[in-house]
Amino acid sequence: MDGLKAVSHDIYHDVEQTLYQEARLICEERLRDWLNVMVDQDILYQAVSRQLRVRKDARYILKDHVNIFNENYHYLEMRVVQSESPMQWTADPREVVRHFISNLEVYEGETPGEYKVFANCYVVRNRRIYEEMTYSYSRKDVWRKDANGQFRLLKRLSEVDERFMRGKNLNFIL
Amino acid sequence: MINAASLVDVKNGTQAKSIFWDEQIYQLELERIFDRCWLFLTHDSLIPNSGDFTTAIMGEDEVIVVRQMNGSVKAFLNVCAHRGTRVCSVEAGNTRSFTCTYHGWSYGLDGSLQAVPFENEFYKGVLDKSTHGLTEVRAESYMGFWYGNFDKTAPSLYDYLGDYRFYLDVWMDSTGGAELIGPPTRTLLNCNWKTPAENFVGDAYHVGWTHAASLSVIGGELSALSGNKMVPPAGAGTQITTRFGHGLGILTDAGPALLSGKVGELARKWYADNRPKVAEKLGKTRGGYYGSHFNSNVFPNNSYLWGTNTFKVWAPRGPRSIEVFTWGIVEKNMPDELKEAIYDMATRTFGTAGMLEGDDADNMESMTQLNRGRQIRKGRLNSQMGMGDDKVDEESGAIIGASAVGETSYRGYYRAYREFLMAESWDDLLKVDPDAWKREFLGK
Repeated sequence: MDGLKAVSHDIYHDVEQTLYQEARLICEERLRDWLNVMVDQDILYQAVSRQLRVRKDARYILKDHVNIFNENYHYLEMRVVQSESPMQWTADPREVVRHFISNLEVYEGETPGEYKVFANCYVVRNRRIYEEMTYSYSRKDVWRKDANGQFRLLKRLSEVDERFMRGKNLNFIL
Repeated sequence: MINAASLVDVKNGTQAKSIFWDEQIYQLELERIFDRCWLFLTHDSLIPNSGDFTTAIMGEDEVIVVRQMNGSVKAFLNVCAHRGTRVCSVEAGNTRSFTCTYHGWSYGLDGSLQAVPFENEFYKGVLDKSTHGLTEVRAESYMGFWYGNFDKTAPSLYDYLGDYRFYLDVWMDSTGGAELIGPPTRTLLNCNWKTPAENFVGDAYHVGWTHAASLSVIGGELSALSGNKMVPPAGAGTQITTRFGHGLGILTDAGPALLSGKVGELARKWYADNRPKVAEKLGKTRGGYYGSHFNSNVFPNNSYLWGTNTFKVWAPRGPRSIEVFTWGIVEKNMPDELKEAIYDMATRTFGTAGMLEGDDADNMESMTQLNRGRQIRKGRLNSQMGMGDDKVDEESGAIIGASAVGETSYRGYYRAYREFLMAESWDDLLKVDPDAWKREFLGK
C-alpha cells in the first residue's frame, strides 16, 4: 500500500531497537550522546502544528502549518549545548521526558541503506514539583545506516496533535 | 468591594501581589480593561482577500474578523443569535457565509442573518431577521494591524495609541510597513496575563540572567549579557512609557539581537542599508532607534519584540492561566529569503520550542501560583529601578528612563492599570488634563 516496500524482520528489529535506545538517551538526558551517535550531519529535524481549517476550503491561500522545530545539525547542537549549561535554570532540578513509542512501521527508503519509519509517540514529561504534561504526536522519520552499521536520523517530521498546547512548550527532543 | 486605588502605589513603584491571583480583581479587569481597551485581532497580511477571516480572542470573548466584499474589515462575536452556538469552528479561511451547525442559521460576511431553515413554516413571521445578525465589534487598524474594542465611547485606535505611535512607527512605518507571519502557535501558560505583559513592556533586567544559557549559545548582540557578565554601558538604551500604559524598552544598535551566522549578516546589512532612509523619513532620533532591539507591549496584553521578531497576545483564561498566541513579524519589503530566515530564528527563540520561551514560563508561573499562599498574596511587588531618573521626552511626549535597564515602563503600565480599574467609564478617563498622568508618574 502507498507504494511502500517492506523490510526484513532483522531490519525492523534493528530500527525498533534504535528508536527505543534514542528514547532512553533522551530520558537519561544524554543529548550529547544522542547527537554524536544517532544524528546524521545532514539532519532536517522538524515539528509542526496545524491550524484548523474547513476541509474543503481551497480559497484561503495562506499556509496551514506553523513550525515548532525547523533545525539542521548546527541548531540541534546549539540546543544540546544550551541543555548542558549550568545556567539553564529550567533544567535544574532535572526533568524527565519519557517517550512511549508505538505503531511502528519500517519501509525501504528512496536510497539503499535508508529507511522510512512511521511511529506514534506519547510523551509524559515531569518537571518541578507540580508539573506533569503529556504530548501525543506522529513521527515520519528517515534513518540512514552509516558505514559502521549505526542507524542515524536523517529526517524527522513530527506533527503534534494538540492544537492548543496544554504542555506549555516543546523544549525537548520529540 | 475591591479597593482598586490600593492595588498600585504609583508614587513608590509597588503593586499588590493579589493582582496576579484574585478572582474579583480579575472580574474587574475584564469589565474595566478588556471591555474598554483596544485588543489585538489580526493583521492585513493574514486576511488579504474578500471573504478571508481569522478568529481571535478579546478578553475571554471569541470573535471573527472578516474581510468584506468592499475590502473593509468587520469583527463579530463568534456566536449564533439563536441559541448561542459558535458560528465558526475553525481558525481561519475564506468563506461566503458563517453557518451555525446547530439549526443552520446562516450569516453573511457583513454579519446579517441571511437564511433560517424553514423560516416561514416554523416561525410564521414572528422572527425579525433584521435584529438577529451577528453582534458587531468595533474594529480599527493602524498600519495594517487590526484591533477590536467593545466600548463605543472609547477613543479611536489612533488616539488610544497616542504618543506611543512615535515609537511604533519606527517599525510599522519605516521601510514600507510590517506584516505578520502565521498561523500563530497557541499554547497554555499557568500564569496571570499581566506577568508576561509586564515582562515584555519593560524588563531588560532579566535578559542576562533568566536567559543566561540560551544567550551564551545563540550568538548576536545580546550574547554579551549572558550570565550578567557585563553592565550595559551608558547610552545603551532607554525605557519608555505613555498615557495608556503602552511602553517599551530600546537596546540601541542591538538590532538582530539573537541572530547569528548568515541570517545575522543579512539582517544587519538590511538595517544598515535602510537606516539612512528611515532617518530621512522619521528624523534623526528614530533613525537611530531603527535597527535597535525593542521589547514592547500595547496595553493591555499585546507584546512584541522587534529585532527578535516575535509578536504575541496573552489572552486570559481566568486569573491564573492564559492562552499565548505567537506570530512572526517582519518588514514587508524585506527579501523573502531574509523574512524566512528571521522567522525561523523567531521560532527558535520564542516559538513553542523556543530556546528563550521556556525560560520565561517558569518565572511567570511561579509569580502567579505562589499567591495561593495567603501570606505571600498579602505582599507587594517592587518596580522601583530607575525611579527619580525619569523625564518627559519633548520630542515624543512620552516619559523615558535614563538607562537601558530600568523599570520605568513597568511603572507606567501599572499607573495606567490603576487608572483603568478606578474609572467608571471612558468619559472619566478622558475628562482629565491629558498631561496629568505625567505629573502623577513623576510625583510632581
